[in-house]
Parts: sequence; structure tokens; C-alpha cells
Amino acid sequence: MTDYQVRVAGARVAASDGWRLEIVDARLGIGRLVNGLASLPVLVEGDGSEWVVTLRGRRIPVTVRSWRERILADAESTAGAQVGPIAVKATLPGLIVAVAVSAGEEVTEGAPLLTIEAMKMQNEVLSPRAGRVIDVTVEAGQVVATGAPLLRLE
Amino acid sequence: MRTDRTPPPFERVLVANRGEIAIRVIRACRELLISPIAVHSDADAGALHVRLADASQRIGPPPATESYLSIDAIIQAALRSGAQAIHPGYGFLSENADFARAVESAGLVFIGPPAETLESLGNKLAARRAAKEAGVPIVPGTTVALGGDWNDLGALGFPLMLKAAAGGGGRGMRRVDTPDEVGVALDAARREALSAFGDGTIYVERLLAPARHVEVQLLGDRHGGLAVLGERDCSVQRRHQKLVEESPSPGVETATRDALFASARRVAGTVDFHNAATVEFLVDADQRHYFLEMNTRLQVEHGVTEMVTGLDLVAWQIRVAAGEPLSRSVLDATGRGHAIEVRLYAEDPYDDFRPTAGRVTAWQMPAGPGIRVDAGIEANTELRPEYDPLLAKLLVHAEDRAGAIDRLRRALDETLIGGLQTDAGFLRWLVDDEAFISGRYDTRLIADRWSGDHDLADGDAALAATAALAARHARTSNPGGPADLGDDGSAWGRLGRREALRG
Repeated sequence: MTDYQVRVAGARVAASDGWRLEIVDARLGIGRLVNGLASLPVLVEGDGSEWVVTLRGRRIPVTVRSWRERILADAESTAGAQVGPIAVKATLPGLIVAVAVSAGEEVTEGAPLLTIEAMKMQNEVLSPRAGRVIDVTVEAGQVVATGAPLLRLE
Repeated sequence: MRTDRTPPPFERVLVANRGEIAIRVIRACRELLISPIAVHSDADAGALHVRLADASQRIGPPPATESYLSIDAIIQAALRSGAQAIHPGYGFLSENADFARAVESAGLVFIGPPAETLESLGNKLAARRAAKEAGVPIVPGTTVALGGDWNDLGALGFPLMLKAAAGGGGRGMRRVDTPDEVGVALDAARREALSAFGDGTIYVERLLAPARHVEVQLLGDRHGGLAVLGERDCSVQRRHQKLVEESPSPGVETATRDALFASARRVAGTVDFHNAATVEFLVDADQRHYFLEMNTRLQVEHGVTEMVTGLDLVAWQIRVAAGEPLSRSVLDATGRGHAIEVRLYAEDPYDDFRPTAGRVTAWQMPAGPGIRVDAGIEANTELRPEYDPLLAKLLVHAEDRAGAIDRLRRALDETLIGGLQTDAGFLRWLVDDEAFISGRYDTRLIADRWSGDHDLADGDAALAATAALAARHARTSNPGGPADLGDDGSAWGRLGRREALRG
């Protein structure tokens, strides 16, 4: 059997002794965790190394990596240390209602960059770090999807 | 079929809403032998509420301003479909006086109060003045619009709440703790109120805390009949918006309850209405109550009252709109047992209840004794950012409050929602929270007790690890078998990739 390493919120976690997963509906990911006479409904979604387990209503991201995947992931994270320009992306879909910055402007970490209205609520997108705005790729009135690039920071 | 019943109040009713409330109204129509007609934007062409109606009229593109808020499109849809009346549900046009007037001038019946009533109550500041004149206590504060000179606010005592006169749903509201904060907060509240309601008028109330948010349900007919149908406690709130409602309130004494009912009757007497209505109050630690506002429409949480009284409020809205007087059994209705509603929202309670979005995959709702689920979605529904993030309302009814909490815990344990984070984890926490169980909680419950620290318990992390590891093993070791969750577009495969991209 492959030797997998499991991480929850970045920390290595060992599986719970005595608990096993019974799959109820593989297509939807519905199952239950069973331990002797105790059981707990659970939802398991994902594939490969990335999984999300819903337990008592909470979605818990879990990475399950093989030895090979661990080496690849380590290599990627070393190479990917953020130095160059970074793209700020939409974390939720919605309507851009206001853009607070323009190209060339210096911003501090945590400064409001723009406002996205989703589900009738206004959400401020804050700057992930200090830097100069290279360009803004969206404008007010535009609808964006999750992951859409909003602007670039130097 | 019964032969002793009165003929249906209308032949055909247009349901000018979407989601769970459209479905709720459609169900009431069916039971009254009325043909329900739905409306839909392009985003909702295949939605559940459309399929449950006899027919549906397209009213425009996805943005609500061009569809569900378009007075003209909805009137045209009603005329095209041959409906005699329009039920607005809640939200959207339900409290819009221009809409009520347009419905009447098109020769149709508006299932709601007269336009003038909507006008006078829509202005919270005017309603505050009217309540005060009727001898009902109001929250200390101003009864005129806040102008440029707000230096004398200090006399009211901080903290204060800035509120939009045209407000609702927690928008245009700001808490102010010190005099220096007034300027910035006032600008923000004005801006929000102007963009949400087209009216930037702001007034001030002293922030009452600890306090409970308690509302009284009313039902009025066209003949002066008025039923007081108990109260609902709505103190579990985030962003001044309700998440949980229960009836009766565990926090009001009998004398307080009587005083609330009397005040509600007095406020109702200031306006002409024939519809369901709610008068909202704050109740402070000394059991004193203060009028907040009155809504003459169906409330999201009306089901709580339906469960304890056994009445169908939506059916009665339609019947009184058609001119029927309230029956003796409605006027004399009393409550039985205890009901609790929790709202399932597409929101992340571990990230300050921020809205989430995406496709709902697994959708397993509870059932059994004393359970009611009012849902607007089903498995495979793609949530639209244009609309309200309410997924479903889960209601329980039991002999007493303790029984209702146990039933709610059981119901939440049967609930499984896949594809996106919901507030179900918060609700599951709430049913085991000491303050909630004791009934001695107030509007600060979420801020005080659901802290910002949501570290995962070690036990839960290990259980999640067990489940994910087992799922991966199942897929690897059993290719082609029932547990092969392959890359062929199965829910597990698709979701994993999406979630990974979102990071």
C-alpha cells in the first residue's frame, strides 16, 4: 500500500485510531465514519492529493500526498517563493462596485484595493503586501468569477 | 375533493419572487386550489420554483434590477398570464409602494397592504415618530434626520447606532463608540443607504446592550380584524441580520409578553393594513421594550409562528387579500410547544460569515417528526452572486424548548451539504452552546461567544485525515469498482480540482 502523508491546515496529522470510512454514495462523496458503536456522517470530496472533508458542517481541506507528490510539492514551494510581481485575484464571484487604486499608486499591506459586491454584500479586497500597482485589469461595473485577475502588484 | 369548502380566492396568482419563498407561496396556492404562475430571470430558467409552478414568465436578464425588481416586467408577466393577484414574497418589491400602486392600477390585487401603508412604514424615522405618538416606547435617539451638526449626540450617550431611514436588512447601519467616529461612520452609512435604497437619510438610536430582538406576528383583514400570533425571538444575529429565530421567546416574562402584544396592537393601529405584519422590538435586561420597526409583509421566519400556531400565514395573506375575514380560530389562536428556525446560508462562519459561492453538490436534508425544510435549491444548483445567499430554512417543532433543541441537533446531524462552505458548522456549534441552551442570550451572542478563533480540534483534524486517507485508498485500490471515484466527471474529482485551484 502506498505510504501517504496527511496534512490538515499545514500540520501533519495521523489518522484516528479505530475509525474507518464507510462509503454510502461514492458519486456525491457521502459516507460515515464508524468506530465500534459510534458513527458520524461525513462528506468527502476531492481527488488526487487534494480533499475536502465536511464534518459537523465544517469543510476541512486535507492534503493526502504520496512520497512522489511530496517531493514535487516541496520543489514547487521553494521555486514559488513570491519575489516578482503578484496578481491579486478575486476570492469570490461578484460585481466590481468600486476600484480604490490606479496604476502607479503605492499601497501598504492591508490597504483596500477594490470592492466586490456578492450576495448583496460589499466585500473589500485588501492588498496582500506593500508595493506599487502595476495595472488594474478590471473596472467598476464588471462582473468577475472566482480566481479572475483583478490587478498586479510590483 | 372536499365539497364544503369556499371557492378559491383567486383563479391564478403570480408569484413575483424566486427561491424558497416563491416555492412557499406556490405551495400555499396549490392548497387553495389556485393556479400558481412563477416568474424567472434568465439565470433561473430551470430553477425549482419554475418547475413547481403551472407556468413561468421570463422577466429579464440575471441582475435583479432588470428582472425581479422590474415593476414593469412583473406587471406585464401578470397580465400575460391572466393572473388576478400578485404575491411579492419578501425582499425585492414586497415593500415597494410604487409597485403596490402599479399592481392596483393594472386592475390586479396586491397581496399586501395599501401603497400608503408601505410608504409610511418604509420610512423608519416616520414610523418611529408614529409609534411614539401612539404611546409606544421607542429606542432613545433622534426623531429627525441627522444633519450636518451632530455635535450634541453626546447627550444620548455612546455607543450609538446610525440607521438608514429607508433601511432594512442591516444595511446602512453603523455602530459608533466615540464622538470621533461619528464623521466617518456617518459618511459610510449614508453612502451605503444611498446605494441600497436611493435615500441617504440617517437617524440615531442609542445602542441597547444587552438586549434581545423580539418581534410580534400580526395578521389583519379588510374588516378591522387583527390577530396577534405570538412572538419570535431573533437575537442570534450577525451583521444585524437574523440567523436563528424561535417562538416563544425564552427571554421574555409573561408581563413583558403582554406588554409587547399591547404595543404591537397600538403600532398596528397607526396604519391601515390587511396582510401579515411584524412589529419588531428590543427588550433590555430589565424587561423594558422599545419599538424598532414594523413590516407589513411576510417575514423570512414566518414558519416559526406557523409551527407553534398551526396556521398557514401565506394562505391567510391570500385569503384576506381577496376580502375574506379572519376566522374565529385565527383570531383566538394560541401557541403550542416550541419552534426554532435556523437559516442555512452560503456563508463561511469561520471567516466572519463571508459569502461563499459555487455549485451545491450533495444536498441531504433532514426529515422525520417535527421537521420542516423550506429550501429553494436542490443538488447541483449553481448559486448566483446576484441573489440572496439563503439556501434553506430548517425548522423544528417539539413539546418544549429543550425538546426542540435536541430535535434541531438531530436534524443538523442528518444535514449534509457539499460543494461549498455553509453556516451549518456554526449552527451545529450553537445547539451545544451553554448560553443558547440556557435561553439567556442576547444579540451579542455571536460576537461574544463565536470567537474569531476557529482552530480545528485535534480530534476533528484526525477524523478528517482518516476520511480523506480512506477515500484516497478506496480510489487507488479499487479502480473500476463502486468506490472508483475516477476522473470521469464524478463529483469527487471535479470538486477536488476546483477547491485546489481556489487554494
